[in-house]
Amino acid sequence: MTPTTMVSPVAVALTVLGLGLGLAAIAPPVAAQPRSVDGAAVFSPVTWERLVNAADEPHNWLMYNGTLDSQRFSRLDQIDTSNVGQLELKWAHHIPQLDRAETTPLVVDGVMFITESPSNVVAVDAVTGRPFWRYDHPLPDDLRVCCGRNNRGVSILGEMLYMSTLDAHVVAIDGRSGSLVWSRQVADYRSGYSKTAAPLIVKDQVVTGIAGGEYGIRGFLDSYDAKTGERLWRTHTIPGPDHPDNRSWAGDSWRTGGSPTWITGSYDPELNLVYWGTGNPGPDWNGDVRQGDNLYADSVLALDGDTGEMSWYFQFTPHDVHDWDAIQVPVLADIELDGETRKAMLWANRNGFYYTLDRETGEFLLGKPFAKQTWAEGLDENGRPIRRPDTSPSQEGTLVSPMAGGATNWWSPAFSPRTGLMYVNAFDGEALFFSREQEYNEGDNFTGGGTETPLPIEHYHSAIRAIDPTTGDITWEFPITPRSRAGVLATAGDLVFSASVDGYFYALDAGTGAPLWHISLGGPVHAQPMTYAVGGQQFVSMTVGNTLYTFGLDGER
Amino acid sequence: MPTTGNNVFTPWATVALLTALLGAAPTLSSAQDAENPYTSRIDVRTGRRLFQAQCSTCHGLNAAGGNESTGPDLTTGRFRHADSDAGLFRVIRDGVRSTSMLGLGADADDQSVWQLVTYLRSLDVTAGGTPTGSAAAGRQLFAGKGACTSCHMVHGQGKRLGPDLSQVGDRRALGDLQTDLVQPDTEVSPRWWTMKASGPGGQIVEGLRMDEDTFTFRIMDSDEQLRAFSKYGDWTYERLQRSTMPSYAETLTEDERNDLAAYLFSLRSEP
Repeated sequence: MTPTTMVSPVAVALTVLGLGLGLAAIAPPVAAQPRSVDGAAVFSPVTWERLVNAADEPHNWLMYNGTLDSQRFSRLDQIDTSNVGQLELKWAHHIPQLDRAETTPLVVDGVMFITESPSNVVAVDAVTGRPFWRYDHPLPDDLRVCCGRNNRGVSILGEMLYMSTLDAHVVAIDGRSGSLVWSRQVADYRSGYSKTAAPLIVKDQVVTGIAGGEYGIRGFLDSYDAKTGERLWRTHTIPGPDHPDNRSWAGDSWRTGGSPTWITGSYDPELNLVYWGTGNPGPDWNGDVRQGDNLYADSVLALDGDTGEMSWYFQFTPHDVHDWDAIQVPVLADIELDGETRKAMLWANRNGFYYTLDRETGEFLLGKPFAKQTWAEGLDENGRPIRRPDTSPSQEGTLVSPMAGGATNWWSPAFSPRTGLMYVNAFDGEALFFSREQEYNEGDNFTGGGTETPLPIEHYHSAIRAIDPTTGDITWEFPITPRSRAGVLATAGDLVFSASVDGYFYALDAGTGAPLWHISLGGPVHAQPMTYAVGGQQFVSMTVGNTLYTFGLDGER
Repeated sequence: MPTTGNNVFTPWATVALLTALLGAAPTLSSAQDAENPYTSRIDVRTGRRLFQAQCSTCHGLNAAGGNESTGPDLTTGRFRHADSDAGLFRVIRDGVRSTSMLGLGADADDQSVWQLVTYLRSLDVTAGGTPTGSAAAGRQLFAGKGACTSCHMVHGQGKRLGPDLSQVGDRRALGDLQTDLVQPDTEVSPRWWTMKASGPGGQIVEGLRMDEDTFTFRIMDSDEQLRAFSKYGDWTYERLQRSTMPSYAETLTEDERNDLAAYLFSLRSEP
């Protein structure tokens, strides 16, 4: 911040608007807090080209996962390993509705868009955290939500924001005013459908998934015309009876088989492929009623970016009976493997295995456990798990690792092209899995059992793990007590940011995992860090409890 | 993880109507002769949900009857029309003739009925047995020969180096208390693990693990002082997952242990 004399915005406004009205006389200019970025919070339309090249404007965070390849890596390097210890609080934003705050904000040219529980969005000045506008989405009282009233973020195209809502709508909101432009029902919330994830923009389409895997839904991925809200395509994640893969479901079980799509996917512009993870088959813990592999639950799908037609799929957990959704962010990276550059997809799965896939073909390249698992001997040459006997849920309870919450979950990983490492929030837990009979009733919970953890959480081990995607080996780990439900961010300052349920926000050395900075912010974390810059200053933001905190270096500002 | 759900039964009113129309006890199934196969905490939870949807109108939301409820308190561990799990199963499914207790009906699935039995059993604080010892004698032992007050507090009296036992009867069954006295390491809450910190110049501080997180931990040392440490500072640390409590297998007789357990079991919150 230059400490030179600044013209107060109040004075400017009065000069422009007020002279002829005599307002200057009753409201003399007030000395404003000097800011070099005054007036900078004016965003220009976010074109598809800007989204494709989002990595080239690291001062902005233009989509849920930062870039279309979902590396959650920022080229910003003002905050680095040498000065991260000097981070200080710049501002905080309190979220009024108390529930899990799972948001990743966007920043576009100095304006930050934060989603709040249950399905609201607020636009603030990214330098001060003070609001421009807010949109509160009206919701019915009888929502079906398994896991909290939450929302994870918006997407932007042009000047329009797109958001999922808990009543299973997608809405388009004007980015400058917060006005609702269109609202489209995606499915009937009374049947158990809900929406929590940020949509993904692909060209002029809003691609968006669905939640409800604990309610016997039939999952799908949709595309809507960004301008009109008209639905362009729908690809079911459980194929219908006219498709041979439908036979991977016994009888009519496919109709209520779940396989939701409740986290944001990725896109490769060169291959024109949309990548999206799918969740658990239903009922979660009673597989007897849905014999077969249950395609395409617990899979990653590669879909044509124009038509939604499936190019390939890879199923991580055939016939899952442990609720191990493949709801992880598909991380796209080009890596050296056996002397060859491969267009790869990096995936640390809830089932305890890490996978490197060829993202052009879906070919399994390598995989091995990255966390404690007791259910499989390993992966065969095609990446299919070699399941151990007697690991299915039972009437008396079967002890299996990972626990239902997984070796990791939806918490976004990060990949740094500078270190070549993927950073994952991992958990070495276990649970007793119980299977129960349950009838399907539309709109009711449909899980077929339950789980419990036999020991207090302190008995288990949690860590941020750095995985080498060329081998699947763990390069380093940073232990967390007792555990974390936060995502990870990597930066060109060779830092890895994350947080934990004990309320810490911290920075690690991306090369070694050494802790370089931490602050106790007091509340559990269910969100992901992100970074941006305004007026040449880098900030890093993290939602802890129900407050979004933004940090930066002292500098001149 | 799902956290909510609705009942999977025929609505209560429909069951009442069917029972009234048919006017006869439904056919007994073989399930009533078997042991309850659904006794996990999952079944307690499901049973509670079923109870609140099906039974709470008469028996109260927490099965304690009272207030505007007309049905009896089901939390005492004694049931007028049943003396076994199989008996409870029969009453829940078939009802009690000539009373306002209507059963769920023959269509109710065995699993759900058993889960209701499991829920009702979970409410019974005496499920682990009733004391054979003397609580009055146990009270003397607690402050005297057992020297329990050198670590434990009861109603503000005693020390702070073990759990406050003022309401231990609410959370531990009688059998658990008897085990605790002879095998204190069987089930140690992480709150009562020991942290051993080693600092510069060979200093060693041991204490009870009051709280621990990713970067720090806090203990109470043997002088009952509160001390806080960083995990990444000058001190290293070790976590000892055992109890600091001695076993009373040798130092108290079986009768004395029964008295002590009876005293501990009597320590409850106000009803």
